[in-house]
Amino acid sequence: MKIDIGMADIIRTSPMIAIFLASLIPLTSKLFNNNKEPSNLITLIEGIGGLIVGLVLLAVFGGSGETAFNKVLVFDSISFWMGIIAISSAGTAIIMMYENPATNGNQFSELVFLALNSVVGMLILVSALDLLTVFIGLELMSLSLYLMIGMSHEEKLSKEASFKYFVLGSFASAIFLYGTSFIYGTTGSTNVGLLMQDAMGLVQTNRLFLFGISLVILGFCFKISIAPFHAWTPDVYQGAPTPHTAFMATAVKVVSFAALLRVVATKSLAASDGLFMVLQWLAVITMLVGNLGAIVQTNLKRMLAYSSIAHSGYILVGVITAGVSDAGFFGASSVVFYLFSYCVMTLGTFAIVSILEKSDDDIITIDNLKGLAHKKPIHAFCFSLFLISLAGLPPALGFFGKFYLFNAAIGEGLIWLAIWGVINSVISVFYYLKPIVLMYMTEGESDIAGHSLNATTVTVLASAAFIAVLGVLSGPLFSAVEKSFIN
Amino acid sequence: MLLSTIVFLPIIFAFVVLVWPQAKTIRHIAFILSLLEFLISLIVLNKFDSGTAQLQLVEKQMWIERFGIQYFLGIDGISLWLVLLTTFLTPIIILASWNSIDKKLKGFHVAMFVLQSAMLGTFLAMDAVFFYVFWELSLIPMYFMIGIWGGSRRIYATIKFFIFTMAGSVLMLIAIIYLMYLTQQSSGQMSASLLEFYKVRIPFVGGSILNLQSLLFFAFALAFAIKVPVWPVHTWLPDAHVEAPTPGSVILAGVMLKMGTYGFLRWVIPLFPDAAEYWAWVFLVLGVIGIIYGALVAMVQPDIKKLVAYSSVSHMGYIIVGLFVFNEYGITGGLYQMLNHGVSTGALFLLIGMIYERTHSREISKYGGLAGVLPIFTIFFFIITLSSIAVPMTNGFIGEFLILLGLHQAKPIYAYFAVSGVVFGASYMLWMFKRVFFGEKGELVKDIHHPLKDLSLREISILTPLVILVFWMGLFPNQFLDYSKASVKHLVTNKNRYYLQIEDIKSGNLKQIENK
Repeated sequence: MKIDIGMADIIRTSPMIAIFLASLIPLTSKLFNNNKEPSNLITLIEGIGGLIVGLVLLAVFGGSGETAFNKVLVFDSISFWMGIIAISSAGTAIIMMYENPATNGNQFSELVFLALNSVVGMLILVSALDLLTVFIGLELMSLSLYLMIGMSHEEKLSKEASFKYFVLGSFASAIFLYGTSFIYGTTGSTNVGLLMQDAMGLVQTNRLFLFGISLVILGFCFKISIAPFHAWTPDVYQGAPTPHTAFMATAVKVVSFAALLRVVATKSLAASDGLFMVLQWLAVITMLVGNLGAIVQTNLKRMLAYSSIAHSGYILVGVITAGVSDAGFFGASSVVFYLFSYCVMTLGTFAIVSILEKSDDDIITIDNLKGLAHKKPIHAFCFSLFLISLAGLPPALGFFGKFYLFNAAIGEGLIWLAIWGVINSVISVFYYLKPIVLMYMTEGESDIAGHSLNATTVTVLASAAFIAVLGVLSGPLFSAVEKSFIN
Repeated sequence: MLLSTIVFLPIIFAFVVLVWPQAKTIRHIAFILSLLEFLISLIVLNKFDSGTAQLQLVEKQMWIERFGIQYFLGIDGISLWLVLLTTFLTPIIILASWNSIDKKLKGFHVAMFVLQSAMLGTFLAMDAVFFYVFWELSLIPMYFMIGIWGGSRRIYATIKFFIFTMAGSVLMLIAIIYLMYLTQQSSGQMSASLLEFYKVRIPFVGGSILNLQSLLFFAFALAFAIKVPVWPVHTWLPDAHVEAPTPGSVILAGVMLKMGTYGFLRWVIPLFPDAAEYWAWVFLVLGVIGIIYGALVAMVQPDIKKLVAYSSVSHMGYIIVGLFVFNEYGITGGLYQMLNHGVSTGALFLLIGMIYERTHSREISKYGGLAGVLPIFTIFFFIITLSSIAVPMTNGFIGEFLILLGLHQAKPIYAYFAVSGVVFGASYMLWMFKRVFFGEKGELVKDIHHPLKDLSLREISILTPLVILVFWMGLFPNQFLDYSKASVKHLVTNKNRYYLQIEDIKSGNLKQIENK
């Protein structure tokens, strides 16, 4: 096999290269400064600057539908939109890391280095057209994260979270790799584009191929916390410092879904009814486990972790729809739109949690929110807005996310999934309303002082504005996403 | 632009209140603004052409093009009075909140205006998704209103209210999306517009619930039935009423419950005519049960507010049976009864709020002999009681009479049962009136250290417009009914060709549809 790397490949991968180079700046400057930590603000600017350059390069060169490096990377609409969402979410999470007490210690330059490398892994993952490239992207992203969670502070929970995440993440990677080997064994290729052409026949005739593809999907299910492979999520989300949780709940989830979408959403697997039935049931179970689990939580971050499991279930509905779709890329567009709205809401929510934390080992329970509306009226208002949007109530952005998703499902005849989805939305209202009740409707002083985090507050306000405005103007955005898929 | 102004002006008012610098004058400014809104709605009444069943003052704009979802507002004889009822009650409610709401004034008025906007949007939206957005939006301010300013069990009540009503409406969302796909199938173009929905012929097979039209019918009907509320999904209502502050109760009884009956009239009956006719017995039976059950339970309530809350269940039962007989009398009566209930039950809750402010108790047994102490209050209460039990010359009589007439014409059996509600209604109201106002003075009334004060000028001016309406609507019903006559007639005679005909006569392709 002749490998030729041309200028075009370099240009197409320029966002990754730029972000990788940017990630080296803080570390290098620390090295040249006698290993003394440079000012956190400068590190932050370097990190964010790198992400912005990457974002611009992605916006300019991405989305063309071309491939690079001998067809192991593809730059289509999925990688374009998911990349943009992931980079933006990562940037927001880094801003939160800069200000959160648990993460702004003396290792901030290392933290930014790892976060940026994690983003590089994400960009590889969203573009990967070869299962081995998927694996490389997945590992680069995850290894950086294991370290980030583990190094951040001395809190026992975070060590535990890091270890749990590491063990289960490796487990998932192993399953993924195992599945890949089966696929290679049966088809002689690991290229997603190539093998999906044959998949339609193979899933019906070749058990080994079906086994392999199922294991690959299973590996993703771990990453995106689909029940019953979700068990690590609440512990890790709770134990990790809040900005890291925000990072995992948004950027990591988005890119993992992107990779899953690329495997599932080609319609080539649709020939296997069994596989799709299993996926549908997984979606239903995930929604139920997430929502019912969230109801009984007392710890705020844990509750949000369960709610994010539930959201994975909703998104899986969209992925399945994209997989059986005849009508263009409606399902895939609805997934992108949902992920976009989900990221905005989730980042806002975790930004609020970050503001409420006094110290690096502060645990916020839902009861702590009592009377917050008196103390921090603007934050309480924004928090309520995020929760209402997460619950999917109009006219907030979250409603339109769900509307497009369920619309796609109904359009494909998966009405029963849509009905499960809306029933779960009602269940979710139970726990999304609880913080609002405590903030506004109970007397008694909130014992959380919180502190003023300027940039994080800006994040909160920006997210709130996004939710309010884009709820009304969701149509053009959705059309833009869908148009890019069709072209 | 007129309807847009009506719908969105309150949101702007909410912002005005939010940024208003002087806390002292918030009530005044809110009152003036709500009065302004009422005056603007009078312009709508003035511009309204009562001779036609057509949608009027239509505003149409593409909103989400991908799915054919429109920004679509319009008014006809069915929504006209409900819009006016909403704008009319709001200033009264703001005036009534003067004493009962004393904390977080800003928040209260913001919630009030957002709620007004959501309710008006529900009545005026003619696009299903647009309608759904307003429908759900109305839950949020009401949720805060009960939860922040309500009584001691307010959190339980507010969550129950929210979950019940939301659970009802989510299936409606699925049905709306499904209907959108049906429009795509039949015309090639997806749309959520009511007019396009009317054009869809939805397959119906009698005898089983498992056919498309029946399923869609029940998905919609459940949402509206919970809002009305129809027995047995009414249980959120007494809790919500008892825990809500007076203004919340008034808006809930006065307008929000009508969103449910309006939904039946606007969406369910014309969209699914075959299913509605086939399953009418379900709602007639439930309606009659509601009438009798509500009245019987009201009779044994020790708490006045709860009594009125259960009487709402009974009264709303009348409206439901009125709508489901599908003749002009029944539907006109149902429509009229919606307004009557808004006026008289709204007034009852206001009166109860006034006496509660004085004594901080709603227990009937603690009152007695109030007539001698508070003569003006007694007179007002008496008039409203008469209206509530539908004595001739009051508004209630016209509504109940028309409903029973329609019911008797179409389904006499149900009429025999429904009419018993009239007797029960009279008995529980009059019995309550007797216990509260006559007889020996109760412990709350006897207290000589804190003698009860009769109604203030502000309170009289709150109640006077309502009392005027009670008689006006009772004596000159035609002045109101004339506006809705054409719409109701059209609805009854054409069922789901309701607007279709008018639209298509204009564009000249009626023949083509006839041939189909």
